[in-house]
Amino acid sequence: MSKEEVFERLNEVFRDVFDDESIVVNETTTSADIEDWDSLEHINLLAAVEQEFGMKFSMGQVVTMKNVGEMADIILSQTKEG
Amino acid sequence: MALTSFYFLCFFALVLFLYYVLPGKVQWIVLLTASIVYYLTSGNPILIVYPVAASLICYAGIRLICASQDRKKRRRVLLAVILCNVAVLFLLKYINFGINTVNGIAGLFGQEEVFSLSQWLIPLGISYYTLSLIGYVVDIYNEIAPAQKNFAKLALYGMYFPVMTSGPIIRYREEGEQFFKPHKFDYVQVTRGLQRMLWGFFQKLVISERMAKIVSTVYGDYTSYPGAYIWLATVCFAFQLYTDFNGCMDIVLGISETFGLKLPENFQTPFFSKNISEYWRRWHITLGVWMKEYIFYPLLRSQAFTRLGKKNKERFGKKRGKQFTTFAAMFVLWFTVGIWHGGDWKYVIGSGLLHWFYIVCGELLQPWFDKGMKACHINPKAKWVDVFRILRTFFLVNIGFVFFRADSVKDAVKMLVSAVSVFNPQVLFQASLFTLGLDWIEFTIAVVSLLMLLAVSLYRQKGSVREKIASWPIVCRYLFWYALVFYIILLGNYGPDYSAAEFIYQGF
Repeated sequence: MSKEEVFERLNEVFRDVFDDESIVVNETTTSADIEDWDSLEHINLLAAVEQEFGMKFSMGQVVTMKNVGEMADIILSQTKEG
Repeated sequence: MALTSFYFLCFFALVLFLYYVLPGKVQWIVLLTASIVYYLTSGNPILIVYPVAASLICYAGIRLICASQDRKKRRRVLLAVILCNVAVLFLLKYINFGINTVNGIAGLFGQEEVFSLSQWLIPLGISYYTLSLIGYVVDIYNEIAPAQKNFAKLALYGMYFPVMTSGPIIRYREEGEQFFKPHKFDYVQVTRGLQRMLWGFFQKLVISERMAKIVSTVYGDYTSYPGAYIWLATVCFAFQLYTDFNGCMDIVLGISETFGLKLPENFQTPFFSKNISEYWRRWHITLGVWMKEYIFYPLLRSQAFTRLGKKNKERFGKKRGKQFTTFAAMFVLWFTVGIWHGGDWKYVIGSGLLHWFYIVCGELLQPWFDKGMKACHINPKAKWVDVFRILRTFFLVNIGFVFFRADSVKDAVKMLVSAVSVFNPQVLFQASLFTLGLDWIEFTIAVVSLLMLLAVSLYRQKGSVREKIASWPIVCRYLFWYALVFYIILLGNYGPDYSAAEFIYQGF
């Protein structure tokens, strides 16, 4: 799976979770860029991403992930391992 | 040795001198020694065994976790470390909460006191160092923090003296390593730190101690001061608490800055928040971050909550199901935040569950608010709507403060009933206002000082006040700082005859 594909699928997940069809995420997107992405929605978002890609974030990754680029890197590394 | 005492200032000056006179590689030893001396002179010296034991338990836990690759064993060690620390915290801080609750329930059935209250002494800073140390061990388990192999260094992280009073709660992965690096004397950094300390003294000694007088008068005899007096005293308490806690943080962060250490901010003008969630992102920030990372997230990702989430989605649909699961986790979170403040239902309600209730109501009612605003043709982005939101949030927070400050939940409810049932706003414009503990001169000083605080808070939204002052011509700069020093010396409530009260959050 290429990084572009990961971002495409992430776009779908983000749009579904935040109920906003206009969302387009990229490497540098952070919670500050999406209005409803707060600490309450963070876990719901990660659960939806995990379901989409069939992987699991570790607790360390959950609290240290800084932007969507890092999220995509973790997805790529874990799906490759799988 | 209170942070605002003359003895502390002498102690701090000596530590600062030794810190920069001695070689960089022993600076952390200066801080560790200072922390031990501070702890031994800040109450019963024997209580130092608690933070030392907590550091020792965490040190052993870290060594065992790092030495093992077996996930189950690592998990068992982590749970043991958490259990030991939490057990000590609960036994010392919350045993009386349990005893009072059991006795209260027994009293409802006409029984006499079942258990008598514990008289154990509570070590200084237990609520802060326990959370900092537990957080560190969890981070080691999650492999996101470097392991500290030197016990003395870990003890410094756990016992660093400025944070023992009221935090902030520090995280090793963010702030830990800087303690052990050499720091060269930097004139600008040291003076900036001292300036920040000065601003902290101003808040604590000039504002907080004055607000406290009105608060004590009204809250100490609320039946004689109904209606508007209660509202006034509660608003005064909001500012008393804020200037007490934020002032303490400015002193703590200022001290650390003089050592070249950057600690996390604990406040970001919280009374300008537009909703309760935002308020908690700006008030006691390090507690909120700790609770989110070590309670809320693990809880939401636990098997039990994942199962609950699935069930709720099946039962209530995707959106509502998700919402209800989050609310359940938030209930645990807010209960923990409340009880962290103290073993009493007034804290559980005032600083915990009431805020949970606000957030849940806000989430559930938001669509109705949106519809209402649309129907009334109100632009949600209008400035006045923001001002309304800020005032509404401040009002809601103040209801929580009534519980926080009152002697008990029963008293808080009686005060709230009095506040809404007696309509006497005229008392705020009569001479009786000056009989609440502050005469008109003292009252004017308090108002002027609050306006200074407001001006600084407004400027802080845009940038650093200290940097702005540093850009002024040298004469104006010195005049400003000397004026502030004399303002505090002349108008601060301190000195040999009057000792400033302890910091409120010191008791937590």
